[in-house]
Amino acid sequence: MNGIVRLKHIADYQKVCYYSVVLDKEDEPIETADSLFENFITIHTAENLEKLNHILSWLTEIGNKYGAQNNYFRDEQYQGEAVGLPPYAMGRPPVYTEDGETTPNNLRLYCHRLNSNVVILFAGAIKTQDKAHECPNVKEHFLLANRLTNIIDQAFRDKEIIWNHNDTDIDYHEDLILYY
Amino acid sequence: MKKNKNNIIGDWLAKNGNPEIDRMVKHNLAIATKVAHILKEKGIGKSEFAEKMGKSPSEVSKWLSGTHNFTVKTIAKIEHVLGEEVIHVEKEYKYVHFYITKSKEAETPTKYSFMSGYAS
Repeated sequence: MNGIVRLKHIADYQKVCYYSVVLDKEDEPIETADSLFENFITIHTAENLEKLNHILSWLTEIGNKYGAQNNYFRDEQYQGEAVGLPPYAMGRPPVYTEDGETTPNNLRLYCHRLNSNVVILFAGAIKTQDKAHECPNVKEHFLLANRLTNIIDQAFRDKEIIWNHNDTDIDYHEDLILYY
Repeated sequence: MKKNKNNIIGDWLAKNGNPEIDRMVKHNLAIATKVAHILKEKGIGKSEFAEKMGKSPSEVSKWLSGTHNFTVKTIAKIEHVLGEEVIHVEKEYKYVHFYITKSKEAETPTKYSFMSGYAS
């Protein structure tokens, strides 16, 4: 056990509630402690604004209209249940528009899709290799995301995190601390 | 559990978001979802659809993921193959009126008035 994990609520939309995790800041109030997702936003606002915009617009749109369906995420499971954004189809890169041109979006955000209503957002980076666990940029984020998904799944089994009555959101004690 | 009062994603988009990217995501997702819905309704599988379109199943998978930038040409072919309208253009401009009003006073320069109307 290296450190602590706390869940942090990020945003609610009509069909999806998004959460993230705060690592190793036990004494800081959860409201002010930056989560992995907020750190990801800060870094890529400076470095990859339009690619980040594409991912955040995507989260908003599926959050409002479609729900977090499986096909809206990229399946990159490896030693855990972490999935990625934007989605991917059979070796073809996802595209978006940058400066008016269609461009592959190689920025990855790793997540844990609990169901079509709840998604935990972690972090990511620019992916330069086919396999996430072989890419020097995203490997660390991807492996951490997989570890965290396993920890969160265990917390469900231990009933430290529970579903609400219709599985549209999760609940947990404010002081919940998990360990990684 | 404490819910965040702010919407971290929404706040970022309000401050930094490019409406063009936002619209592109909306449109691509809407088209992909509509095509997937038509396929389901008509009982057409991805492979069959790919064959009808003359494309590979992987290309069709990409279309249905919502990340593909559809061209009008591709949409037209999808509509033809499926026999359904994928994009509905809400307002159709059927006619435009153009009037010229000439002033009675010879020394006064001609005044031009433009009026237009449309029917949907």
